[in-house]
Amino acid sequence: MLDTHLDFKLLEMCARCEACYHICPSSLNIEGYDPRAVIKDILAGDYEKWITSKHIWQCLECHHCLEICFQHYGFENAMTALRTLAAKRGVTPPQVKRGWDMFVKTGRLGEPIMPARKKLSLPEPGASGKEEFLKLLGVYREAKGREGTPAE
Amino acid sequence: MKEFAVFWGCTIQSRFPFLEKSTRVVMDALGLPYREVDGFTCCPEKSLVNNVDHGLWTLTAARNVAIVDEMELDIVSPCTGCVSNLATVASELKVDPGKKEEVNGLLKEVGREFKGEAKLSHLVPFLHDEVGVNTIKARIEKDFSGMRFAIHYGCHMMRPSHALKNDDPLEPKKFDNIIRALGAVSLEFPTKLMCCGQGLDRVDQHDMALHMARIKLRELKRIGADALVLCCPSCYLQFDNNQFLMEREGEKFGIPVLYLTDLIGLGMGFQPEDMGLSYHRVDVGPFLEKWERGHSRPSPAATLTGELNVEGAL
Repeated sequence: MLDTHLDFKLLEMCARCEACYHICPSSLNIEGYDPRAVIKDILAGDYEKWITSKHIWQCLECHHCLEICFQHYGFENAMTALRTLAAKRGVTPPQVKRGWDMFVKTGRLGEPIMPARKKLSLPEPGASGKEEFLKLLGVYREAKGREGTPAE
Repeated sequence: MKEFAVFWGCTIQSRFPFLEKSTRVVMDALGLPYREVDGFTCCPEKSLVNNVDHGLWTLTAARNVAIVDEMELDIVSPCTGCVSNLATVASELKVDPGKKEEVNGLLKEVGREFKGEAKLSHLVPFLHDEVGVNTIKARIEKDFSGMRFAIHYGCHMMRPSHALKNDDPLEPKKFDNIIRALGAVSLEFPTKLMCCGQGLDRVDQHDMALHMARIKLRELKRIGADALVLCCPSCYLQFDNNQFLMEREGEKFGIPVLYLTDLIGLGMGFQPEDMGLSYHRVDVGPFLEKWERGHSRPSPAATLTGELNVEGAL
């Protein structure tokens, strides 16, 4: 499953390098968060325990690992793949589920606050692209059902 | 200068309209040719949408870029996340013609086409590169000399660098250059480029988000920063809102959090109320008072002349 999302050859290099471990803000500051252990388990095919772990949601996607990586690959790819797998199985933090539901319903993660805009003398906000987004979402879902996963 | 659309993003408009206000005040004062564009949606947020469905993430961002492509406009955003997401998708599609064709096949159904011609910039590198540090400096009536600011770049202002290509991703300089142009000192400190950690709040790990905020705030207190200056609504949420929540629980850091546009606007002569500074949750009073004190104090030379002119002084 993970091999469709990840380049295992690059990950093998990651396992021997560990540069990102020494720069990652979560590795440096969150107890138990260790990219080295996750990569080792993915390479051994033993990643199931990470799917339900809170640690995979502690990757901040700051792209620091990507920038320091001599392969420009980065540990975050491994975390994204694990989170996608968790989402497919419905094992996401409740707030992720709420945010996703709002996104697919409105195309946004929040609406402009009109009373505050008035107080600040802000102009009318640009019109939302909601209707067109919902139509496109329908097109996307139909194509996905027909062909698997378009644009992935 | 080419006309551009401002991509405000969801967070600024739904939670911090006063940041939109200060951005507009500065853009208007600089006479920037910006336009309000209809039809945008969420960029979309990477940590949410990309984790769940990479295909929909790509398609939604491509649609937003297609809107400005059609109007032959560029995009400038005061949100680091929005620009980073749009630019990441645009760069992916530009190097993968097959994927671009597939995305355009879907966009065609709603009458759009992603060309990827629009330039996608964050406000800070845009101000630095397109407006110019000297142009901004020339407009400052009341500078910030004597003030010591800590900059928080915000990870997505310049990362991922293959997509944004706007500054050194590990040693950025442009934000610092603008702060120095305003006359202030930009402090160097070990956690300067550390991620704010706000993402942890979005995955129900609030205590961890506070833990990350605390690390930087403690350091800023130790080095005596007069304010934390940033230009990202998510980082603003982390340092203003969460600092306020900690303050309410008795853990006070007292570090005012300012948007870069707040500073530029104040320096240009706008008043705190013009920038909506009263909406900030952590009190910006100490920052304003120190700044005012610095300007009301007579220069040493003026004092000396005054003393020498007193009768019988010599």
